[in-house]
Amino acid sequence: MLKIFLWLRYLRKRRVVLLSIAAVALSTALLIVVASLFNGFINAFEQSAVDGMGDVVLSPMKNFAGYAELEKRLEEIKSVEMAAATLSAQGLLHLGKGNVRAVEIWGIEPAKFGKVTAFDKSLLKTKQANPAGSGGISGYVGIGVLAEPNEQTDEYDVNGAEGMIGQQFVITTGSTTEGTNGGQQFKRKTIQFTMADAVFTGIYYFDSRLVYLPIEQLSRTVYPDSQEPVAGRIQIKLRKGADSELAITEIRGVWKIFASEKLGWEDYQIESTITETSRQMQSRFVAEIRKQMGVLLLIFGVVSLSAVLLIFCIFYMIVETRRKDIAIMKSCGADSGSIAFIFVGFGAFVGILGTLLGTAAGYIVTKNINEVEGWIRVAFGLKLWKASVYMFSRIPNEVYWQAVWWIVLSAILGAALGAVIPALSAALTRPVRVLRYE
Amino acid sequence: MYKLVLAFRYLYRRRISYLALAAVALCVFIVVVVMTVMDGLVGDFKQKNHNYTGDCVVGTESLVGFAYYEDFARIAEKASYVEAVTPVIKSYALVGVEGSGRNTGVELMGVEAGSYSRVTGFGRTLYYHKNDASKAFEAGSDSNLPGFVIGADLWSGRNEKGEYYYAPSPEATALSVTCFPLTAKGALAKAGTDVVNTKTFYFSDCSQSGLARVDGSIIYLPFEEAQVLCGMTEPVKRASWIHIKFKQGTNIEEGCRQVRQMWGKFYDEYKGKDNAELLSQVSVRSWKEHRRESIAGMEKEQTMLMMMFGLVGLTTVFIVYVVFYMIISHKTKDIGILKSIGASCGDVIVLFLGFAAGLGVIGSAVGVAGGMLFLRNINRIEGWLYERFGFQLWDRTIYAIGEIPHRLDLTMLAVVTGCAVLACLAGAVLPSVGAARARPADVLQVSQL
Repeated sequence: MLKIFLWLRYLRKRRVVLLSIAAVALSTALLIVVASLFNGFINAFEQSAVDGMGDVVLSPMKNFAGYAELEKRLEEIKSVEMAAATLSAQGLLHLGKGNVRAVEIWGIEPAKFGKVTAFDKSLLKTKQANPAGSGGISGYVGIGVLAEPNEQTDEYDVNGAEGMIGQQFVITTGSTTEGTNGGQQFKRKTIQFTMADAVFTGIYYFDSRLVYLPIEQLSRTVYPDSQEPVAGRIQIKLRKGADSELAITEIRGVWKIFASEKLGWEDYQIESTITETSRQMQSRFVAEIRKQMGVLLLIFGVVSLSAVLLIFCIFYMIVETRRKDIAIMKSCGADSGSIAFIFVGFGAFVGILGTLLGTAAGYIVTKNINEVEGWIRVAFGLKLWKASVYMFSRIPNEVYWQAVWWIVLSAILGAALGAVIPALSAALTRPVRVLRYE
Repeated sequence: MYKLVLAFRYLYRRRISYLALAAVALCVFIVVVVMTVMDGLVGDFKQKNHNYTGDCVVGTESLVGFAYYEDFARIAEKASYVEAVTPVIKSYALVGVEGSGRNTGVELMGVEAGSYSRVTGFGRTLYYHKNDASKAFEAGSDSNLPGFVIGADLWSGRNEKGEYYYAPSPEATALSVTCFPLTAKGALAKAGTDVVNTKTFYFSDCSQSGLARVDGSIIYLPFEEAQVLCGMTEPVKRASWIHIKFKQGTNIEEGCRQVRQMWGKFYDEYKGKDNAELLSQVSVRSWKEHRRESIAGMEKEQTMLMMMFGLVGLTTVFIVYVVFYMIISHKTKDIGILKSIGASCGDVIVLFLGFAAGLGVIGSAVGVAGGMLFLRNINRIEGWLYERFGFQLWDRTIYAIGEIPHRLDLTMLAVVTGCAVLACLAGAVLPSVGAARARPADVLQVSQL
């Protein structure tokens, strides 16, 4: 009780202690914001892969026919909810006079693709991919393909994009066919389609590069010699709670039988097929970002050591000016351990108050980081975040609680550590010397 | 003189001031190391972008390009401040290894190897034709065949040191390059037919500009070949950009301003001609404006990092404040004596601020010395960490970064030292003013002695 009384008294009477609380709060808030932004970016990056590609992707070394049957076989696996075949090709999208954009064309089965990925949610108006269409070929165009985002705000003109729904566009791609002399011949192919909706995933690459067309039409156009439509990969959504490793093993088994029986592929061709989760596909890059996060946190952690020095200075000062109090307490029977504990405990108390404030500040800044960024843009004309640089349209604003606990714990320990030497100095006080009359 | 003596005495005798010194040194050390590395990365990135672009570009983002580029290039070449001029075609193409049946979309640049190398750093980015860039498009298998130069990341992988794998001589690889030609109106040329412009090119060289986006997406073809493939020969010859290099000593902004004027006159003269409507889309930019999208991100990150260090540096101000508060509270009698023998309030403030500045200078010197020592060995340390623990600051197989930048920028050092001294002065102001206000009659009372 005496200790708490003294802590509160020092806090009230020695205003300089507030500086140490401010320093701890500042360091804690900064570390929380940095860790949360990095982690948010990593999570968004991994989630973007899942949203764009599904949970698992099966990528053979070459295109293959008969994907409908493979989808059916895969969907018979207990852990697989749905499988959707896709095909990709390159092309030029003619948006108007002189306005030609290089795009990547994804051939999809809209209804299935919308369920395997987050495609449905990304559609601006309809929110559900409609496989029936309006008779002709329906396609979906990334919002960034239609127009560049605003230079100042980095926001797309959503109304403008919605206004283009229903318009007809021509995409030019090419097909490779067997030539008369045995070689391959490249022929230009155009596909006219009606834009069924614009796609805004918030992921810059998808939004600025992709055009989605029905896989059958794309396959017929690009691979006219193939009797059946072909696919380049299978994107798979797993059931909730499914073990991804087990699912991959089962998917590989199904693929092996299918490729061998139906496609007649050689073993090396089957073995070279890559089946992995979309998170695994990004793992190298994610590991690199995590490493950079660690380095940055280490740098700020080292700089934050100055807060420990500050606490040391302040506590040293308190001990120096409170020698008589300490001597009186010791002369009343307090042992050295109790005296030391008063100051170490006070250090921890300062740490707790500082981290509470810092965590609150870190939480508020992280949660409102997009608003803060917007405010900086308005106040200073400085657009810090751009989707074209950082992949995503919005800054991820999830607090990384796992790191918060570590940061808070380290800050409290650091604060207590800063108080150790002054506490020992206090504990070694000899009442007989301090309380001498002269 | 007594101020100097006292300042040194306080520094020497009051061990607590070592803490303030340590805090300043720590902050300066970290800032010097991080800013040197960051500065090096940003500076290197900018230089690579400058090398890639030249000093000034005139052109349009439209894939259609603009006409009469040859006439403008001729005029520009005659300007006294212009060293060299080169036209460039920029478009997109599908490329595939002959016989594979698979195509990949790439960016296509049609360049005149000789003049392009004079304007930009293209020649230095080549592997096999570094010494004679004009032969960049001579295929390795047969110099009579049309060659292509490909971005290093499209061609080869990088090892853990960031080095590419190259064969001793150019491999005999053929790529079919397909373009979709556009008319001057922006429509597809030869509409209604299934004809595309496809031609086979043979590997001649790799270009390693050090810019990941460039090296991972661009294939270079001879200018005339690219012009034909993109349909930019009819009805008038077109190009996408004209890159310009200024003579040494020319201020780039001033040079660009003069080119803008030159373009204005040229536009007025040519605006009545056929296909002159394409000229209205042409802009004149400095290399920085042209590559702004790439550079701005890194510059902003550097700014944000500086702001964060500024915030953390506040703690140093707090430390200095506390240390001075302690020193002054222990030295009230000295202050009383000084004032009683004639020192003014200003003298007392100057004494402590001088002490603070000395602390800042010594702390900065220690921090800078530590930073220099660390930076000098930073690549060795990283090498050791990689050998022992497999740790690299940046995975060189992912990032196009060579060694960690470690060249010190004297301006940055001066700024950091200045900020450290200012931080010390800021921390010492309040205690110094408090000391100056001390009244000898109060602090030198017998009861206080």
